Amino acid sequence: MDFASLIDGALVESVVRALIPILLAALGGLICERAGIFNIALEGLLLIGAFGAVAGSYFSGSAFVGVVVAIASSMAFSLILSFGSITRRAEPIVLGVAMNILAVGITSFLLVALFDTQGVFNDPGIVGMQKIAIPGLVQIPWIGPALFNLTLLGYLALLLVPLIHIVLFHSPVGLRLRGVGERPIAAQTLGVSPAKYQYLALLASGLLTGLAGAQLALGNVVQFAENMSAGRGWIAVVAVMLARANPVATLGAALLFGFAEAIGYRFQAYGLPAQITEAAPYVVTLIALLFAAKYFRRGTVTAEVT
Amino acid sequence: MVIAFVIGAVFIMIAGSDPISGYQSMLRGSFGSGLGIANTIQRAIPLVGMALAIAVAFRAGVINLGAEGQMILGGLVGVLVVLYVPGPPLLVMALACVAGTAAGALWALIPALFQSWPGVPVLIASLLLNYPARYFSSWMVRFPLKDPESSMVATDSFPAGTQIPLFASPSSGLGQTLLNNLGKDNVLTIVGRTVNWSFAVVALLVVAVMFMNARTRFGFESGMHGFNANFARYSGVHSGRLTAQTMLLSGGIAGLMGVMFAIGAPNNRLMDGQILETNYAWTGLLVALLALYRPSGVLIGGIFFAGIIAGSGAMGRDLSMSPQIAAVIQGIVIILIAFRVQIPVRRRRTSSEVVEARMEHDQAEEEVGRV
Repeated sequence: MDFASLIDGALVESVVRALIPILLAALGGLICERAGIFNIALEGLLLIGAFGAVAGSYFSGSAFVGVVVAIASSMAFSLILSFGSITRRAEPIVLGVAMNILAVGITSFLLVALFDTQGVFNDPGIVGMQKIAIPGLVQIPWIGPALFNLTLLGYLALLLVPLIHIVLFHSPVGLRLRGVGERPIAAQTLGVSPAKYQYLALLASGLLTGLAGAQLALGNVVQFAENMSAGRGWIAVVAVMLARANPVATLGAALLFGFAEAIGYRFQAYGLPAQITEAAPYVVTLIALLFAAKYFRRGTVTAEVT
Repeated sequence: MVIAFVIGAVFIMIAGSDPISGYQSMLRGSFGSGLGIANTIQRAIPLVGMALAIAVAFRAGVINLGAEGQMILGGLVGVLVVLYVPGPPLLVMALACVAGTAAGALWALIPALFQSWPGVPVLIASLLLNYPARYFSSWMVRFPLKDPESSMVATDSFPAGTQIPLFASPSSGLGQTLLNNLGKDNVLTIVGRTVNWSFAVVALLVVAVMFMNARTRFGFESGMHGFNANFARYSGVHSGRLTAQTMLLSGGIAGLMGVMFAIGAPNNRLMDGQILETNYAWTGLLVALLALYRPSGVLIGGIFFAGIIAGSGAMGRDLSMSPQIAAVIQGIVIILIAFRVQIPVRRRRTSSEVVEARMEHDQAEEEVGRV
């Protein structure tokens, strides 16, 4: 096997394609983490968003409506977690796991109830998102087609990284959000309502996972498949931990995962069984964690969970 | 509960069926008929076992999210033993159980070691290890182990007598006695020919864990470690070793559940995705959390959720709806229970709001270091 031929422009393109849904979902998880809520429902939110996107696009004939429906359904679904964990003070892990099970159930169930299909729903009626090439820049070899020929959501995802960084670290809203996550009591004495900010953070994660779902189901492919999020939400959860809830580092973590997924597909073309290459992103993430482990020494997430 | 059923009814109506007849068939399919009870018990066995595996870990403060992978690998190794090890069937069966338990335990040990060095939290490592286990076993069943003569994606059928036998199959002496004395529609007869002997193993495990938690040093130390790991460490508990032992125990139980599910009658070959589809690991996690890690609660909660799974499965079949209605109803019930229960763990620890506020303050202080 010729390893040099594995890496080319097309690979860069598929890395970016694999990375965007994970990045969007991870940014949503990051905002929750900063607000002090451990959101492990990303997987379910992503799946709900993907279903909403396909349903919206199919019934309206417009990809834009699909994206709006995706956002709306993920945000509505995220209310379960906000109401449960903030208002009712229930355990977010229980809610998150239940929401993930529920999301698989609801989407597969509605797939039969609304579209009368099982497994995969692809229909010419589903309108996907158009890719928009930026003239000039798209001609740059290697990175041009990868970075400057994306869907609108793709550009948005990449722009959100610096944007969220600025909002988090250089704006009053970001300061209050982090204050709520780090010292809720202190925030409260200064007149900042933790509940309000946590609700907003969860809504934001609903919005971002909705976008991630739309990108997955109307951008990367144009169809809905049962359980099509396939662990990406979990990878997003891990990316947030790996990046210690820092937006730029989250991009790095998502990049690593995107690379593992893309190179896995590439190896598949060389005859490696799909089951083995599909496991690659998880193994790569674990190995990366082993190297990054020194960051976990103090105050791990585990301490927070128990 | 009422709300859950109302929401469930809405979903049944979306699918174009009548909710009342839906719930009637759900009741019949879970606790309301002999076959329903048998189906419920059949599903309760692995569910209670998996919940128990997770409960022993969580009680010690070891967040094992990898029970799914441990169960799958345990099942795979058990099937390998049954298919390839020659010998007296009963001995092979016992060996399969031991090997599957060991496989689950060793797979679970990896995250425990990674936590000791270089320091990756068990929570993340165990979760990530689910996927290699899942894909590897899927590959094994699809290619090296696939029975070429079968149209299903499944292994060869197991040699005669290596399955875990039914509790009282119609051909056995006990089954005959039940059949003759109680008739073929009696609950006991139906349960006897549906449920296999792993029933007894899980029942024993529940009692053993109860005893361990209440009466042994390991049980005491792990409870203390889960309650407050720092306190346990100051009192001389070796945290790393306790985590490793806990993961071995938890993964071992999960692996055993995998084998018993895979080679337990009436299953006589392992199909691709067979263990994964059941979702016992994640449902078991929820049961463990809702039961506050107590074995008695795990038993009751496990049977209850098994009833919901069996009942909604029956409803799906009777009204020809997607079998996923089970996941929908299950999810709604859990979320509504979680809304009502309200952070059970903290409730137990603190009696007054003042203490709670101070705890939150301390926790916030800890978190500053992390962020």
